[in-house]
Amino acid sequence: MNTIGEPWQRHFPTATSGAHLFPEFEMRAKAVSGEVFRVPDATAARETLIRLVDDVGAKKAVVVESPLQEAAGITEALRSRGVTVYTEPTDIAAHAETSDIGISGVEFGIAETGSVFQDGGAIATRLVTILPPLHVVFLPSANIVPGITEAFDIISQSFDRGYVGFITGPSRTADIERVLTIGVHGPSRFAIIAVDETPKGGEA
Amino acid sequence: MEAEKNLRKEISEKLKDETLRDALGRFSEAYPIARAKAYENAGDIEALRDALRQMKIDTVARIEEVADRFEAEATKRGAKVFRAKNGDDLKEYLVDLCRKNGVKKIVKSKSMAAEEIDLNPYLEAAGITATETDLGEWIVALAGQRPSHMVMPAIHLSRFQVAEYFSKELKEEIPPDIAFMVQAARKELREKVLQADMGISGANFGIAENGAIGLVTNEGNARMVTTLPRIHVVIIGYEKLIPTIKDAATILKVLPRSATAQLMTSYLTMIAGPTPAMVKRDGKWVEEKKELHIILLDNGRLRAAHDDKFKEIFQCVRCASCLNVCPVYTLIGGHVYGHIYAGGIGAILTAFFHGMKEFEKFQELCIGCRRCMTVCPGKIDIPGLIEELRIRNVKEKGLPFLLRQTFENIVSNRKLFHSLLRLASVGQKPFQSGKLIRHLPLFLAGLAKDRSLPAIAAEPLRDRIGKITKKIDKPDMRVAFFGGCTIDFVFPETGESVFKVLQDMNMEVLFPAGQSCCGKPVIAMGDVETTKKIARENIKALEEMNPDVIIAACPTCTESLRHYAELLKEDPEWGPKAETTANKIREFCSFVAEEYAKRGRLTKTAGGPKVTYHDSCHLKRVLGIDKEPRQLLEAAGCELVEMKDADKCCGMSGIFGVKYAELSMPILEQKINNIRDTGAEIAVCACSGCMVQLQGGLDKQLPGVRMKHVADILAERIEEK
Repeated sequence: MNTIGEPWQRHFPTATSGAHLFPEFEMRAKAVSGEVFRVPDATAARETLIRLVDDVGAKKAVVVESPLQEAAGITEALRSRGVTVYTEPTDIAAHAETSDIGISGVEFGIAETGSVFQDGGAIATRLVTILPPLHVVFLPSANIVPGITEAFDIISQSFDRGYVGFITGPSRTADIERVLTIGVHGPSRFAIIAVDETPKGGEA
Repeated sequence: MEAEKNLRKEISEKLKDETLRDALGRFSEAYPIARAKAYENAGDIEALRDALRQMKIDTVARIEEVADRFEAEATKRGAKVFRAKNGDDLKEYLVDLCRKNGVKKIVKSKSMAAEEIDLNPYLEAAGITATETDLGEWIVALAGQRPSHMVMPAIHLSRFQVAEYFSKELKEEIPPDIAFMVQAARKELREKVLQADMGISGANFGIAENGAIGLVTNEGNARMVTTLPRIHVVIIGYEKLIPTIKDAATILKVLPRSATAQLMTSYLTMIAGPTPAMVKRDGKWVEEKKELHIILLDNGRLRAAHDDKFKEIFQCVRCASCLNVCPVYTLIGGHVYGHIYAGGIGAILTAFFHGMKEFEKFQELCIGCRRCMTVCPGKIDIPGLIEELRIRNVKEKGLPFLLRQTFENIVSNRKLFHSLLRLASVGQKPFQSGKLIRHLPLFLAGLAKDRSLPAIAAEPLRDRIGKITKKIDKPDMRVAFFGGCTIDFVFPETGESVFKVLQDMNMEVLFPAGQSCCGKPVIAMGDVETTKKIARENIKALEEMNPDVIIAACPTCTESLRHYAELLKEDPEWGPKAETTANKIREFCSFVAEEYAKRGRLTKTAGGPKVTYHDSCHLKRVLGIDKEPRQLLEAAGCELVEMKDADKCCGMSGIFGVKYAELSMPILEQKINNIRDTGAEIAVCACSGCMVQLQGGLDKQLPGVRMKHVADILAERIEEK
């Protein structure tokens, strides 16, 4: 948590939120061309990511770590696949623009809209989420709130300064003849890997 | 005059622009459906709109306090806040900032406020290049045009036109393939963002609680513009300020749904205080804290905030849904409105940001149909505010000579007015084709020219009263009928039907001979004093008969009479009388439906003709009456077939339908087509203004279908019995 004043988890409405909302979240995210992969554990998460990497033939990746990624050993898996991985902010700044894939963690999802909430206070996070053509995020599948209102209940108690926001599907435009076109300035593909298992020794 | 000529020229050009007509036509068809779908999982829409409205009302009431808090919190977090009184203030500050920081290249993500003050040419003149990164804004900039829509700036252009602009800018042949063009734009603009020294963004909201600004975007350009360059400048109008972080949710529940029929845009970004940026120093990337400047723009906004009526414009979140349903905007697009804010709300914003002179040119393009009010998330009374602006304009400058003469000397003098109408019925004979000639009182204002409208009847209703009044010994009720000019002088047969229907329920019907025009055409032009004079005469005529109820068979007359209470409230003598009149006035259909229900007559019967019903804008959206006329038709045995867009304006709207016939006609044509598709024998409505328009249209385009008032249908049923 780079910019949010106090841990947002403390304000997560556990009574009304959770994995039971995942199907709605998944449906909404897919409706806006998001790709959603719900997996049981770290191993499956790693395999899913590798499939995505193979799918786009990624050679170069920029990664901002998150507990789920660390638990799944994402960075090592990428490297052993022959992908060049950058994790340092200065390296990310130099290579995000030419990378095939950006990987980061997000805080929670919103069932009403299929959005994910991310703390983008760290410059590296914003670079990996916006510059490469494919953006993959890791999300604990239990971290789903019902709607925008509930999301703002959390945000209003934890957002003091910095750069936060929702990401809802890939970048899009309909500015020419109102024809929906995916992938303008931001990524043309947006994939969510949602993991059921909570990583050991820490919060997601 | 010159301005009017230019406007007409532009309207006629836009009407001939097939790309524009086609795009807007398709969009206006698709939008209401898409919007409804987007709200499906949002809960109670009305509750959401009310919440937004209330939050904004509470905010504007203490706008200075909210602005101070916003400034303090943003400053506390390291942002520099500058308050710009107007565009010049803002531009000077910005150019100075650029000079101090050696800024030569700027990238912009969408800012309507920057467009409003014509920022780009000023920067250009100062040797600074500013590139729009929003695709639509970039296209419009390349075309050397202005956005024609607040949310979809380039909706008026085709892919072929865009390909031309791209080919010219990129100096290579760009095919008119949308996906290809989007990629070409991505490549070109990304380069610009990576090289820029400064990013300028607008803001969809600014939060006082923590000094954050919020951006709602789809393309991702706002994230890049606010992330990559080392300096970020936010241009935000006072109306975008909200007190708390939670208030942002109130906006976000409705803004994407109303603007683009999305549940949420691809990106919602909130930025509080400067964040880190990566800057290349001596060939090496280093992390530095960004400079964040927030420019709070006034430019007329605070004057509106302190205006009892116009503080309402703070309820606007710039979703543009009002444009998407506007019968005039969806015909001609945004460019004719002169400035960047189009449509009805645009005319109002322009009045405050650019002055009354600008407003004057475009205000007539609001036809007062109130469709915008049914979708506006902030529930702004756009037509009401336009009428208020007209009133103020007239107070300040007076009416044009001819109109003033007409209102002050003719319309407000019932005897003279009515004798002229009678004369007209004689005078029109040589020119009359069939039953169609001219409408009144517009014809008196010398404004009717482009087409024929229904004839003035040889014998007005007032001359038929003796013949049609039934003697009723023990009436259940004494009813005064307020006919209004149109029923009295154009559709006296409908007036007879009203008598028949009411008398059939054992009511005594009175027709106060001293009644005149309700005053609507006069107040609509902003002439309050003459309207008051007319109101007093009508009140006198009506109250002399001491009726239990006053009935009007025209929603506009009903509305006008009801408004007398407000109009005369400060008049110690007439105020209470006006109140009495206002309390007695009832619209025909809703009154009869109620009385029929009491008598067990409001049940569906069979055997009548196949009809379709047109909702008058004012009957449905001002008086809230749409079920009753339908129930009455079915009670009269009609087979009711709903037409598409039954509640869309017919294009008449008083003076507009005559003065802007070129706009009124395509709107009417859509209506006639929708009537044709139902296969009905009779088109029914309950508004005499609509009857004028629809009868004219049916006569020319669909002669097999007749036009009738609900009262006519009911009267025929009574005769059959």
